Amino acid sequence: MSDVAIVGMSVLLPGAPDLRTYWRNLVTGVDAITDVPEQRWDPAYYDPAGPARADRLYCRRGGFVDEYADVDPTRFGIMPNSVAGAEPDQLIAMRVAASAIADAGGDDRLPARDRIGVILGRGGYLTPGVVRLDQRVRTAVQLVRTLGELVPGLGAAELERVRAAFTEQLGPEQPESAIGLVPNLAASRVANRLDLRGPAYTVDAACASSLIAVDHAVRELSSGRCDVVLAGGVHHCHDITFWSVFTQLKALSTSQRIRPFHRDADGILIGEGTGIVVLKRLADAERDGDRIYAVVRGTGVASDGRSASLFNPDPGGQVLAVRKAWDAAGLDPTAADSIGLLEAHGTATPAGDSAELSTVATVFGVARGDKAVIGSVKSMIGHTMPAAGIAGLIKAALAVHHGVLLPTLHCDDPNPALDATRFRPIDRAEVWTDEVRRAGVNAFGFGGINAHVVLEQAPSAKPAPATIVVDEPVRVLRIAADTPEELLRRLHQGQNHEAGRLRLAIVDPNVKRIALSEKVIAKGVAWRGRSNVWFSPSPLLPTGGIAFVFPGLEAEFDPRVDDVADHFGLRQRSVGNGDLGRHGMSVLGVGRLLDTALRRIGIVPTALAGHSIGEWTAMSVSGMFSDRAVDDQLATFDPTAVEVPGVEFATLGCGVERVADAITNRPNIVLSHDNSPNSTIVCGPPAEIAELVAEFRQQAVVSAVLPFRSGFHTPMLKPYLQPFIDLADRLEMGRAALPIWSATTASPYPTDPDGVRELYVRHLIEPVRFRATVQAMHDAGVQVFVQVGGGQLGSLIDDTLKGAEHLTVAANSTQRGGVDQLRLVAAALWVEGAAPDFSLLEPTRQPVTLQLGSPLVKVDTTISTGGPSRLDELTADFPIAAELEALLRETAESAAQVIAARRAPAIRALTKRLTISTDSMPFLLDHCFAPQRDGWPDLADRRPVVPGTTLIQLMMDAAEEAAPGLKTVRVHDVRLQRWLIGAPAVDVTITVEPTGPDRVRVAVGDHSQAVVELAPEWAPRPHRAWSVANRTTPDMTAREFYERRVMFHGPALQGITALTTVGADHVGGVITSPDVPGGLMDNVGQLLGYWIWVTQTTKRIAFPVQMGRIEFFGPHPAPGTAVDCLIKVVDVSDRIYQVDAQLTVNGVVWAQIADWRDRRFDSHMELDEAWRFPERNALSRRQPGGWVAVAERWPDLASRELYLSKYLSGRERACYDQLPPRNRRHWLLGRIAVKDAVRNLLWDNGSGPVFPAEILVDDSDGRVTVSGHNGFPLPEVAVSLAHSHELGVSIARFGREPVRIAIEDPATEAPGDGLERVAVSNPADLPARQYVVAWTAGPADQEEA
Amino acid sequence: MTTTEASRDVVFTEIADMLRTVLAELGVDDAEITEQSSFNEDLELESIDLVTLTALISERWGEPVNLAEFLADKDLDEVIALKVGDLVDFVSGALARAGG
Repeated sequence: MSDVAIVGMSVLLPGAPDLRTYWRNLVTGVDAITDVPEQRWDPAYYDPAGPARADRLYCRRGGFVDEYADVDPTRFGIMPNSVAGAEPDQLIAMRVAASAIADAGGDDRLPARDRIGVILGRGGYLTPGVVRLDQRVRTAVQLVRTLGELVPGLGAAELERVRAAFTEQLGPEQPESAIGLVPNLAASRVANRLDLRGPAYTVDAACASSLIAVDHAVRELSSGRCDVVLAGGVHHCHDITFWSVFTQLKALSTSQRIRPFHRDADGILIGEGTGIVVLKRLADAERDGDRIYAVVRGTGVASDGRSASLFNPDPGGQVLAVRKAWDAAGLDPTAADSIGLLEAHGTATPAGDSAELSTVATVFGVARGDKAVIGSVKSMIGHTMPAAGIAGLIKAALAVHHGVLLPTLHCDDPNPALDATRFRPIDRAEVWTDEVRRAGVNAFGFGGINAHVVLEQAPSAKPAPATIVVDEPVRVLRIAADTPEELLRRLHQGQNHEAGRLRLAIVDPNVKRIALSEKVIAKGVAWRGRSNVWFSPSPLLPTGGIAFVFPGLEAEFDPRVDDVADHFGLRQRSVGNGDLGRHGMSVLGVGRLLDTALRRIGIVPTALAGHSIGEWTAMSVSGMFSDRAVDDQLATFDPTAVEVPGVEFATLGCGVERVADAITNRPNIVLSHDNSPNSTIVCGPPAEIAELVAEFRQQAVVSAVLPFRSGFHTPMLKPYLQPFIDLADRLEMGRAALPIWSATTASPYPTDPDGVRELYVRHLIEPVRFRATVQAMHDAGVQVFVQVGGGQLGSLIDDTLKGAEHLTVAANSTQRGGVDQLRLVAAALWVEGAAPDFSLLEPTRQPVTLQLGSPLVKVDTTISTGGPSRLDELTADFPIAAELEALLRETAESAAQVIAARRAPAIRALTKRLTISTDSMPFLLDHCFAPQRDGWPDLADRRPVVPGTTLIQLMMDAAEEAAPGLKTVRVHDVRLQRWLIGAPAVDVTITVEPTGPDRVRVAVGDHSQAVVELAPEWAPRPHRAWSVANRTTPDMTAREFYERRVMFHGPALQGITALTTVGADHVGGVITSPDVPGGLMDNVGQLLGYWIWVTQTTKRIAFPVQMGRIEFFGPHPAPGTAVDCLIKVVDVSDRIYQVDAQLTVNGVVWAQIADWRDRRFDSHMELDEAWRFPERNALSRRQPGGWVAVAERWPDLASRELYLSKYLSGRERACYDQLPPRNRRHWLLGRIAVKDAVRNLLWDNGSGPVFPAEILVDDSDGRVTVSGHNGFPLPEVAVSLAHSHELGVSIARFGREPVRIAIEDPATEAPGDGLERVAVSNPADLPARQYVVAWTAGPADQEEA
Repeated sequence: MTTTEASRDVVFTEIADMLRTVLAELGVDDAEITEQSSFNEDLELESIDLVTLTALISERWGEPVNLAEFLADKDLDEVIALKVGDLVDFVSGALARAGG
């Protein structure tokens, strides 16, 4: 075999989270044995005086690593929330392997990945993950079955509750965690996460496993199959079964001490741990200059063969293994100087110690000179089983490496058999003076498998390689002083110094940079960032301002922000460089992330600006929009909207004047960006752009065509503005907390929303005047410019401000990690007098603690009623007592129920009055049919409607009031008949009328009625919750569901917190029970609304009108409880959606609804936007020529009522109500058309949202006029309307000039009255009909003509 | 020393002088410039500084030496990796082609 070098090592062992601590413990003799932590196994098992039984333990001391058992999942690319489900030893192996590699000099020193193997010793024991799986799939079922057999009276529902209560404690099921059952994953996960592609497997040879892994590794290296192998052992199993095995074998120490080679050694203590060594052929290690702890000279493996017993060690096999190893090493074990230290197996069982000492005496012979040292680390950490060999090997390698003979604890009275050997135990460390330090390591396994390794010191001592620390931050030297001399002196000391007028910072200091700094200090002139050096003799801050400047789109976009998001725990927005819109959103996301990070560390701007769409980032961080608004609105913003066909941009490396000259005669090319004195961007048709670029290049101007075709900042974008305007309309405008500089005007943005909107539009179609803006900001006192994003924007600022006092620094760079770049920014600003909090930039580690135990399940609920009986005390001694007790209790309960039913209180009749208003039911404000502008004074115009499910709750409450002591268990035949509107306030009468011994008929006025069934106890729960096949992931989140107003409900009623599945015949979600009467059930209707939204294209508006039966199986879940709701669609007809629904809490059914019916109201996809966002969308459609037409798509009265409520103010509704019913329909059509004609006119002229009710239409004097309602500022507008059959039309123009619109019979010949005419017909879904519309020609028509 | 080598040396000296001019504007007055110096890494010049350099080169040698066209074929990574020697090669080549 080849000699193999140990070049890296790491451990996680009792008392030792790492190699350094392990070494210290070994030298000083730290006893890491403790009592078993409670979470490993239940203290009730410990019963030293108890009977000899498999589950009674007489020993509870051992070696444990709980306090160190954590991993930093993000470091290994593991989701932190998946840690809980993973088998802990796999994660520990990964951590230890990574630090062993780091100890060997890190990834850089590793060979090709396919030349690296991983071989770990690991047993197939009941590790914590396995136990958790077993508890779930076996114990839970066993428990329920046994209970059911022992207590026949227990019903299926109770047993199911027992099972649910038990498994609930085990946490959610995670299929991926069950895979931990597969033992080889301990090695595979290491290979996977560290990307090692050689052989990776586990070996199991009980306590010899680790050394057999080393033996395999040596073979892999000798054969040349691998160039590096990670070898070691993993054992983290303190399961009670494992302890029970050793208890039953009487192998555990009765004195609870582990004393290898002590005269009275009486057994082992169980330990745990992981150790891994990095092995390499010695020749390679020497060639590569590796630090070599020790050289593996020989390994030997042998079995006992047919010997006395499978469980008792046999010296024969041991001798064979040890001799094989020394043979392999080519050494004579009996030679005088053969060995200085023997790390024995040393289990401290009488049989084990005796067999091993016999082996040792046989192989090594008697002492010829000084005695060598024998010992075992088990005296400090316990027996770490499959990891025992590696714990001993690493101990021996450290001893060889450092030249120290290491002590063994608790061997004050050595075993007399030692006399026959050449070894002695020592109780304190000694210097190892042998010429060649050589050690042997034993590991003898259960069943007679034996391994031995011979270690020798490295041929020549090499210094340790620089250990790689994964998260080493860039070094920043910051020095302050009051005089240049002092500054220089401190620079040479190389220590940070905070106080002083003169400030210097060096990022990643090296000789060159320090030399540069010396010169800079000597000159006494500011130096701002070149070569990573900053110096300021007179700081710019705080007299100067700090601007955050946000980049727009740049050709190169490679942000490094993942680590920033991790470090600050910030949510990272999608970052990508796909199409322009998404790129735009990513630029925005990166900007906002960095803005937050900068502010966190105390770098706060005094002004904001942006380049191109960076201006939107500036707006979004300014507080002008709410965070949520930006998130949601920009997320729904359609990227394809920013595509202007037939235009390209070119950047030209010269000033705007020269460009202006060149494009004077090119009318199709326009200036889009005046960036800086040496950078200008133009936009125009590709062919002409290419020509211009060629021309400029010829004149030696660096020029290039840019990869964007958005047409931003040019008039070419004008025809495509609408989506942007819509976007702006959807964003709630607040007030910016800081001045935002507009690059359109080179001055700060106005503060009024209309002004902002106007400028927002101009920004899109007018050139970016970045140069003038930067100059103006500097003139206004901004001297520090932080580029909040990546890219080249800063160089434009520097170009503009060349020669002027200023600092530009980029908060993100491709050159270094995101957090490191922030360290640089902080240093640069510190030099200028800022006081960032550097401590927040210290590296963080976020380890997740591993749960190594699998404690007994404790449930915190009970299912029985009544207290313990006297029999209870006897159950321990007389099992029959328990059965009897249960039987008696069962009987008592049945009897009680019968008796209770007999003397059930009489249910009385009841009549009560209730005031319904938004005061008594504030949540009604979140259940309004008609949205209105903020602050709209007429509450009634919002149409706050009492939810149908609230009416059901009111009926249930009234029924219970009439039947004290009883609760509603079922509600039958619910009818929801008429809207109940809560504004103005209204009184309703609730009547309760008994109809049977357990039933009442309840009505709320003429709004609703139902039959309520009452009982003293809940009905038994159904056996199981429903499930559905073909679950499909919904296409929107619960939040989007509300933000997009799929449902009109406001926050108080927004209970859906997750949409979990939707399919052709079902929908499921999680409802967090709202604190509103009937609110939970209302959300069932909302969930149905989502199903309708997804699956239906017509008649999507629906409200509940009827329910067959609602059953309750327990008390109403408290507000905030997460309730799973599954709806099964039973039938869909033209008029009705019919569904069943089930509500469960933690898998336990709470309520079930059969035959819930929603009535479908007339609606049409074309009206959908106007239905949900009436302030921005019209029911009418624009027609060429500047008039609008609305088609009546609500033929039935109830549907008309819904649209009416969105359009009419209270005053108009009063008019409507007074009309003869046959006139109402057309009157409404005309009103809708006029309001839409006026709103379109306003929107066309840049207006923001206008609600229909804000336009008041009046025809009291026979002429239709419009005015602004409730203070809405409406300019003079002339209108006209007409209606016929299903058509309403209207025209609106600014000014007093009368306008006219009419609907004429197509059969009639058109008179020559100067009106424009066009034939129109009903949409296909309405009765076929033709009309001719005649209208006053407007300026637009005349132009066309 | 051949004519080509001689002119190459001259071009290097002149370009180094131009670079010093550009760097001086940025406050650097003692930059070490060799043919191996890279614009981005060693001299810490940004693309906008190359614009200035292009103008200086154009002023000095006129039409035959067009750095803008030279740069036009390069993508950003190539520009970043550009060394002073590459520029000297280009300028002396362009001058040779122009018969200078």
